[in-house]
Amino acid sequence: MRTVTRRKFLAGAVGASATLALGVPSASAQAAPAVKKGANLRLWILKTYVEPTNKAIEASAQRWAQKHGATVTVEYFTFEDMQTKYVAAIENRSTPDVGQLETGAPARFAGMGQLMDLTGFARQIEGQVGKPPANVAPVIVVDGKTYVIPWYIMAPFWYVWRDEFEKKKVKLPTTFEETKQAAHALNRPKENFYGMGQSWNRTADGYGVMQSLMYSYGVGWATKEGKYKSIKTPAMQTAMKWATDIYKEGIQPADTLSWTGSQNNENFIARKIAQTSNGPSITFALENAVAKATDAADRKRKEEALANSLALPHPAGPDGRRMWAIAMSMGIFKSTKDPEAAMSLVAHMLSPEETLGVMRDSYGQFAPVLDKARAASQEYFNKNENYRTFGKAAEWFVPTGWPGPVTAAAAEVQASNVLTDAPAKVIVDKWSVDQAIDWQDKKIKEIYDTLRA
Amino acid sequence: MPKDTLAAFLFLLPLFILVVALIAYPFYRALWLSLTDKLVGYPERFVGLQNYIYLLNDDTFREVVRNTMVFTVGSVAAKVLTGLAMALVLNHVWRWRNFFRGLFLLPWITSSVIIALTWRWMFDSFPGRGFFNSVLIDLGLLSGPIAFMASPEGAMLAVIVANWWRGFPFFGVSYLAGMQAISLELYDAAAVDGAGPWQRFWHVTLPGLKHVMVVTVVLSLILTINDFNIIYVMTRGGPGTATQVLATYSYEVAFNQLRWGRGVTVSIFLVPLLVVGIALVSRYLLRERN
Repeated sequence: MRTVTRRKFLAGAVGASATLALGVPSASAQAAPAVKKGANLRLWILKTYVEPTNKAIEASAQRWAQKHGATVTVEYFTFEDMQTKYVAAIENRSTPDVGQLETGAPARFAGMGQLMDLTGFARQIEGQVGKPPANVAPVIVVDGKTYVIPWYIMAPFWYVWRDEFEKKKVKLPTTFEETKQAAHALNRPKENFYGMGQSWNRTADGYGVMQSLMYSYGVGWATKEGKYKSIKTPAMQTAMKWATDIYKEGIQPADTLSWTGSQNNENFIARKIAQTSNGPSITFALENAVAKATDAADRKRKEEALANSLALPHPAGPDGRRMWAIAMSMGIFKSTKDPEAAMSLVAHMLSPEETLGVMRDSYGQFAPVLDKARAASQEYFNKNENYRTFGKAAEWFVPTGWPGPVTAAAAEVQASNVLTDAPAKVIVDKWSVDQAIDWQDKKIKEIYDTLRA
Repeated sequence: MPKDTLAAFLFLLPLFILVVALIAYPFYRALWLSLTDKLVGYPERFVGLQNYIYLLNDDTFREVVRNTMVFTVGSVAAKVLTGLAMALVLNHVWRWRNFFRGLFLLPWITSSVIIALTWRWMFDSFPGRGFFNSVLIDLGLLSGPIAFMASPEGAMLAVIVANWWRGFPFFGVSYLAGMQAISLELYDAAAVDGAGPWQRFWHVTLPGLKHVMVVTVVLSLILTINDFNIIYVMTRGGPGTATQVLATYSYEVAFNQLRWGRGVTVSIFLVPLLVVGIALVSRYLLRERN
């Protein structure tokens, strides 16, 4: 396995610093490590529902390959098989050179010794790609070392049908309590229209919203240092009560708990629910529908639907607004035979120009986190109300395991589905709220107690 | 060593290597991993029976075992009954019998993911889309949709139905082959003795099918107990953990929680029970043959 020698790294860093100090335009290009001709890399990227984004990311990688006379083999994973692919690759020692990683992966993979320490590289390319905001640091820094470079936030938002709210003169919700009140006001079960659709399922639509809810009520299962902390608190009781009351009070379709990843989108777009949490793929679907309108009347109807689908930030709680989201970053695996080329590829793809290119094909689901790209993306996100909200994703972002750093244990708490199984036990098995919290707390503690350091 | 014995060993060698490489070693490896605290990306450490003890005390695992039993027994029982009915009907169809036999095999050869998605759609309560709800509402039998998948019982029923639909043709075709091997003279003799259709079925057909039934049931029990696709696609083990079975739970523990040792333990926990079951059935079959 080859690594960057200290001499090479220092030479690169000095070169980059000197270039930056001199203020030479496009200093970025020189900041990235040199690439030998014929370099061959494997790049793993996330495939989302928004096909143009996937193509844009692949095109960006191929531009780098063309520029350097190199080859990049792009392999996709989806949210469904992300874990399976990485786990199999780690166990079979076939990890890619460069991989796109979700929020919990850097802590988990760095702990396994799979990722290269990019602390020096991160500083080296800061002038080119920019700095991450402080709230993203818990994702990228593990035990004081930077293992990944953050790229974008893929956040869920609180989608509402604005015209439904206006018709009934109901205030747009800003807190979880207000969402419930609004749901009651808008609920028309006899017409198969419900005030809300929030599933506690085994997808980010479930555990993601549960974390936004808990953190906004000031409940975290970890300390600032990332150690276990009990969630048996009055604040958790209130949060769990909200999570289960929305089922008990008849303001959601009866099968909401059994929805998988796409049914909240479908029910919302079909106007069967007034509010739901989802990523901007709803906007993507509605914008696409407008583009595919068959005639003027159809177009008008679809444009109205697009204008009425309002994406709000996740509701706040008594302790503020803390929006859980997926933070995607780029990491380099130690197994790479060409770390310089891998670094160069990462620097290229995360540059403001390339990031903005991908972002423009993302229908708002790709919110850059590095300050240079964020500054340059303001115009794009000024397109309309929804995009202005999408553009602020990085500001509200909190990671898994808040208020502590993302740790392997925190990531396992999310992956074990204990966060959503607990409310399901109240809703399905008729447990009391306290019983469910006790069960959840025991499971979380067990994860922290038994996970190897 | 006699020449023939040496030749026999040589001929058996490829098979021996295959058995060791593809069955014995993976099984030994799984057994070993279940005795370790192996985490993905970390070396394994021997912990004895710790994983087994943990699972015995884990309320989720107990629920998973219960769900697996309900899913397996429910699916296999439904397959036996409908397979028998299918074979009885086809046994009396003389024209187009092979066509129907082929037709009924379609579910068995269809991808289980497609089957799961189709049944998910059939049970969907999304107004105007779920097949059962749409039909019942259009017929005026329902005013609003029924949320089949919302309750633990409904979700379990839905996954059992999907598994049954995929598996019953195999039972039907096997029973049909078994029925065709039963001598017609036995039916004639029974009829002469005054046996009606039900008595002929009970005293001639069923005993004649005994061996086929045992084999199909054992095979199906093994396949159903390890079924993953249908549940993962239809419910992901939900609502809550109401349809979480050994295969899906094992996947969740091994791949999402990265606890490989414990995940393997989940999947092989019932192996001793299955081995005893298979041994008993094999012994019974051999005794009958002797």
